[in-house]
Amino acid sequence: MKKTRETAGKKLSARTKGYLLLLLMVIVSWGIFKIITPDNFGSPKNMLSYFEASLLAAVGAVGFYFVMVMGMFDFSIGANIMLSAIVGCVFANRFGLGYVGLVVGAIITGALVGLLNGALYVKLRIPSMIVTTGLALIYESVANYIAGGVEQTLPSGLRAFGQMPGNIILAIIAFGVAFLLLNYTKIGTYTYAIGSNEFVAKNMGISVNKYKVLAFIISGAFLGVMAVLTISYGSSMVAVTGMASMSRNFVPTMGCFFGLAFKKYGMPIPAIIIGEFVINIIFFGFIALGAPTAIQDVITGFALLIIVMLTTKVAKGEIVK
Amino acid sequence: MSEIRLQVKNVSKSFGITKALQNVSFDIAKGEIHALIGENGSGKSTLTNSLTGIYQKDSGQFILDGVEVNPKNQVEANNEGISIIVQELGTLDGLTVAENIFLGHENKFVKCGIKNTGAMNRMATELLKEYGFDRIKASEMIEHYNFEDRKLVEIVKATYFGPKIVVIDETTTALSGEGREELYKQMKRIRESGNTVIFISHDLPEVLRLSDTITVLRDGVYIDTVKSSDVDEDGLKKLMVGREVSGEYYRADYGEKVSDEVVMRVKNVTVPGLISNVSFELHKGEILGFGGLSESGMHEIGKACFGASFDREGTVELQDGTQINDIPTAIAHSIAYTSKDRDNESLVMNQSIRDNICLPSLNTLANKLHLLSDRKLKKFAQKFAATMSTKMESVDQFASNLSGGNKQKVVLARWIGKDSDILLLDSPTRGIDVKVKQDIYQLMDKMRKDGKSIVMISEELMELIGMCDRIIIMKDGMVNGEIMRDKDMDENTLISKMV
Repeated sequence: MKKTRETAGKKLSARTKGYLLLLLMVIVSWGIFKIITPDNFGSPKNMLSYFEASLLAAVGAVGFYFVMVMGMFDFSIGANIMLSAIVGCVFANRFGLGYVGLVVGAIITGALVGLLNGALYVKLRIPSMIVTTGLALIYESVANYIAGGVEQTLPSGLRAFGQMPGNIILAIIAFGVAFLLLNYTKIGTYTYAIGSNEFVAKNMGISVNKYKVLAFIISGAFLGVMAVLTISYGSSMVAVTGMASMSRNFVPTMGCFFGLAFKKYGMPIPAIIIGEFVINIIFFGFIALGAPTAIQDVITGFALLIIVMLTTKVAKGEIVK
Repeated sequence: MSEIRLQVKNVSKSFGITKALQNVSFDIAKGEIHALIGENGSGKSTLTNSLTGIYQKDSGQFILDGVEVNPKNQVEANNEGISIIVQELGTLDGLTVAENIFLGHENKFVKCGIKNTGAMNRMATELLKEYGFDRIKASEMIEHYNFEDRKLVEIVKATYFGPKIVVIDETTTALSGEGREELYKQMKRIRESGNTVIFISHDLPEVLRLSDTITVLRDGVYIDTVKSSDVDEDGLKKLMVGREVSGEYYRADYGEKVSDEVVMRVKNVTVPGLISNVSFELHKGEILGFGGLSESGMHEIGKACFGASFDREGTVELQDGTQINDIPTAIAHSIAYTSKDRDNESLVMNQSIRDNICLPSLNTLANKLHLLSDRKLKKFAQKFAATMSTKMESVDQFASNLSGGNKQKVVLARWIGKDSDILLLDSPTRGIDVKVKQDIYQLMDKMRKDGKSIVMISEELMELIGMCDRIIIMKDGMVNGEIMRDKDMDENTLISKMV
């Protein structure tokens, strides 16, 4: 009756199962909208553009995964993206640093925001959700101050990361780095160890606080890359205030949930990438349908809950928090 | 005494006002199995946790091979040549078997910041093969293995690098016979290699059989160190408790007729993958034992009768016809259940002892307006914590701060407070010292005489033989025999039906 032993040794099939599930989700979400609105949705060209759009959030989500898998949360990701994009734009445009200024400026800003989030969370010893919510207000104000209340536009000559192949190359590099960190460095091992049992991890000599801060920094740096892709794709960024940046939290967070749900299949990063693609298929499907925004939001919300519920498939008796 | 490996010199450690260790001093030799025994809360785990960097001692010294060691965590302790296998689960979900084995020691596989996962897996595979645990795959996620296999991984983790001292803290109670044999084999191998094992166990026959030397602690104070060959079980009990422990350890009665009144009728109960077609009747005032190998399915019996099993088939019916299909119904009908896995399934670790004891009794403790009185809850918790002689600062202390045995006492105190009529006790004396074990046996005997019915699930054959009116032996998820109480019954009778 050693049921658990029998389940061992099925890693390959589990991974294949994970990929098949994701593929099924892509086909089902595409199929539904293709049937309803066959003419203006889902052509190969359209699908490629949905995929390109999904890369933005996927890059942020793979970074955010390091924070979430440790059991922490970050409500400031939208504010981080906004601030990083504006600083990158200012470096590239106002200081004349071009692409270097855009990429380095955004990534360093994102990482610094992550450092501040992590450091305050560790030092103040208050929940990450509260710390990052408070800090989001500050980041929004800083972004607004830097932008001088004016929409920051990226010159057309600096928008290579907003289209093929620049966006794909940058995203692939980001995914590669995340994959490397997660699977081939101590950081990945310790990330999972801390997420599993912080006390035991500490007893194993792991500097838990250091790696928590590092997770926020990694997350911030990836959000910086997302900021580069976002401003390059959309050409400009407005520094909003009053927590309006929170609306940018949703898509990367949902992608991250895909990663967490598919962690058991040993493929969180591909799950995040394909998950974001599925989200975008649904999103563009509604646009093709011309559905009102409120309806779109309601159905998207439900669709995502159903997807995560079906894919997570929590074992009986397992506690869900 | 042969060459000294470790000198423990005036080590003290306090938790708040509780003095867990007071100026403890003794020596441990090279190439021996040195047992550390004492009642729950006597300071055994605190001492070894201080030695292995899990806790930081307040004062005193650990001198290893003439050099003072003061590790800040387990990895530092490993680097000094000291390792530990802890009482509860010490491996981490989300990591592979190989990652768990080398956690904190990844640097040997890291070049330019990149971890060579292949090399790590290969080395772990070799180690697992060397230990005879080939069935455990190095690259597999640890959560795909059961508790026992994970403990075997911990054995590899703690011993592969040839530490000078290996602490084995109350690990045997978590293992089945097969797992224990593996552990014993490793302990002997360590001793033969000239290194030392510090062995913590409440199982005195096991201690006497395996160890060369035994040190006794009581209430955080060093009592004595004796040669195993110079002492017997009663002598050890006396040293541990500070007085003679009477011979009335188990029930003394034989031939008493059990009531014909059936209080619980279990019919064709099946839990997929765990137990199959189990039927039995529990009588009023009866202690019904369930024995078998760890994986025989016996640990699912308690859950199934408590309505806590998933996908259970068959029926569990009370005398009045009530069907037990869920936990609230079970509790409402005066059924209690204690799990073998007390940390995860019985205790709310980050809540006070008071809350843990009062939890199932809140309805009766509330007033007419359903309001709870803090004073009343405290008084209730204090009363039953005292009944179980729980060693604690106060009932406001968190359950997580208690020693293993005292946690078990809190679990039992909860159900004694609830005054349940049917008690489903899975491994009730696991990790409990000899004195409290005796108290629990006496309590069970009293309950039986008061008309309460008990299902006792245990891997300790002697306590089943000593306490039960009837013993059902499980094998491969099915009932493989039933044996009535008899003073001539011995372990072999049960083992023949278990394997």
